Amino acid sequence: MHLIRYRIIQIVRQWSVMFWALAFPLILGTFFYISFGRGGMGEDMEEIPVAVVREGQGSVDTGAFMEFLEQMDGEILQVVQMGEKEAREALLGDEVVGIFYCHRRPSLTVAGLGISQSILKSLMDAYDKNEAMLTAVAQEHPENFPKAMAAMEQWQETTEDVDVKGKTLDPNITYFFALIAYACLSGAFLGVQSSLDSQADLSALGARRSVTPTHKLRLVLVDMVVLFFIHLINVLILTCYIQFVLGIDLGSDVASIVLVEWMGSMIGISIGILIGCIRGLGVGAKMGVCVLFTLFPGFLAGLMFGQMKDLVEHHCPLVNRINPAAVLSDAFYSISVYNDGERLIRSVGILSVMSVGMVLAAYLAVRRVRYDSI
Amino acid sequence: MVKIQNLVKRYGSLLALDHLNLAIEEGEVFGLLGPNGSGKTTAINCLLALLKYDKGSVTVMGELMEPDSYDLKKNIGVVMQDVAVFEQLTVRENIDYFCGLYVRDKKRRKQLVEEAIQFVGLEDYTKMRPKRLSGGLQRRLNIACGIAHRPKLIILDEPTVAVDPQSRNKILEGILALNRQGSTIIYTSHYMEEVEQICSRIAIIDHGRVLASGTKEELKEMIKTGEKITIEAVALEQEDLEDIRRLPHVFDVSYEEQVLVIRCSKARHNLICVLDHLKGKDLAFGKVFSELPTLNDVFLEITGKALRD
Repeated sequence: MHLIRYRIIQIVRQWSVMFWALAFPLILGTFFYISFGRGGMGEDMEEIPVAVVREGQGSVDTGAFMEFLEQMDGEILQVVQMGEKEAREALLGDEVVGIFYCHRRPSLTVAGLGISQSILKSLMDAYDKNEAMLTAVAQEHPENFPKAMAAMEQWQETTEDVDVKGKTLDPNITYFFALIAYACLSGAFLGVQSSLDSQADLSALGARRSVTPTHKLRLVLVDMVVLFFIHLINVLILTCYIQFVLGIDLGSDVASIVLVEWMGSMIGISIGILIGCIRGLGVGAKMGVCVLFTLFPGFLAGLMFGQMKDLVEHHCPLVNRINPAAVLSDAFYSISVYNDGERLIRSVGILSVMSVGMVLAAYLAVRRVRYDSI
Repeated sequence: MVKIQNLVKRYGSLLALDHLNLAIEEGEVFGLLGPNGSGKTTAINCLLALLKYDKGSVTVMGELMEPDSYDLKKNIGVVMQDVAVFEQLTVRENIDYFCGLYVRDKKRRKQLVEEAIQFVGLEDYTKMRPKRLSGGLQRRLNIACGIAHRPKLIILDEPTVAVDPQSRNKILEGILALNRQGSTIIYTSHYMEEVEQICSRIAIIDHGRVLASGTKEELKEMIKTGEKITIEAVALEQEDLEDIRRLPHVFDVSYEEQVLVIRCSKARHNLICVLDHLKGKDLAFGKVFSELPTLNDVFLEITGKALRD
């Protein structure tokens, strides 16, 4: 308890380390929240005001496009029919974000760049694509036109975000799980920092601790336990911040989320302790390896680019089985997407084995060690 | 207490320890004196089983010293050359933490920590963090962390580097007090005055080899210089220096920046003889000093260079 107590005091009083370990993920989470907007978080999105200008009402068949816009009205658009001059004035006065022209070939005019303008553009593109496809079918295979219409309606139904087991996943929530996974792995930096204090060739403190009668394994384990709990608390604070302050629903399976965060913190600290114990590397090099071993596995696991994990799964599935970030992300998906307890236990089991293996390897690397130079 | 035999340590092509032999007896204050880079710290780190060595052996209290010699380590206190304390802990917390690595009993530890604080004179600073202490006080804290558990063998590696005279005296007095309390001390330094002041036996080391060892009196007996006479004299000619060199018992004369240094072998009335000669030649001179040889003279004569070169 003596060693644990002082290690806790020592780590908690390192304000700069604690600040970045805790504050950085919180800041990143806040940025995610602001970037995605509340609409992305399953809340009602503010409707985008648009003007609709119809060309020679009745003379041109603009019914299909008008019908399309009317479907969007009240959903994501706030449609107001105007004359062309009035619409242009409204656009310049920022009263509307864009003008849809219901001409023979429908078109869109916007007066700037932004998320709302991008949404209007994607609506326009979607309409153009569907119209082109239906026109082609009507011209080349008119007998299949009803089927094409039916297929399109069916497509609209199946693209709803509904899981086969009934769990709905907002795609943006995966970013918050990715953030928690990253926060777990970033414990590696704490692990590296602490292992520097155990090695005589890296610090005077390491030398002093190495000449004491306290067993090396005891020192390594004490460091690990203390860092683990401090890091877990940081991750739990981040989770509470996302859930309760930002109002992002991470799901009701709190116990499973905490279990994964427990193992995530453990694996993060273990990676750091192992990197810290690699012989022959200086402090800077160890920090560099640490960056590599937290960001690169995260990249392979799709924490930055969603398709990456699938690519790895297709080309080298073994990497996904041994990559801690991939296993961690799989554990989160097991809770939030697959609702698969067996898969969750398997992921947690893999993380446990890896963690124990890393700490043992770290101990073997530093026990009975004599250094080449100090 | 400590026996180092034929220790060889290489850093690549650099021979840091060249068949080093040392034997330190229980109860003595043993000084390892040598210039920077002479191999003192390397020898200490090999002794503590921190460094690999190429050849030789180190035994402490009759047992081979290994990295996992935990029973031996209980009896050893180490004060590193660099201040090795936690910046985030206060003075008392640091001493308590390091003492706790040796002593598990809380009650005994509390008493030892208090004694260590008093011993190094940090009573007024117990709640301060190290960075708020002066360099000298940090050194005292460094010592307290190394000796609080009352070890039988204390190794101090240049503990007074960059320390103010007041703290230096306090540290040296403390080391002698620890020795009186029964601890064997190994003290490394390149400050000959310190070593001369506190060590009962001294080994002079350079290029990883012991050049000479013994008590300070024994070391001084080993060299030719018995007396060093320093005289402030103006405008001496080469001819005058030659005349002085021919005086009885004088074996070396140097004259730089109007300071004449005459080295004589051990004999009576060397100073009177020199002054009579100067008067007889009507040579003007100012202040005159006569000194017995120092360890620096010993080092100078053995190696041909001064200790701080």
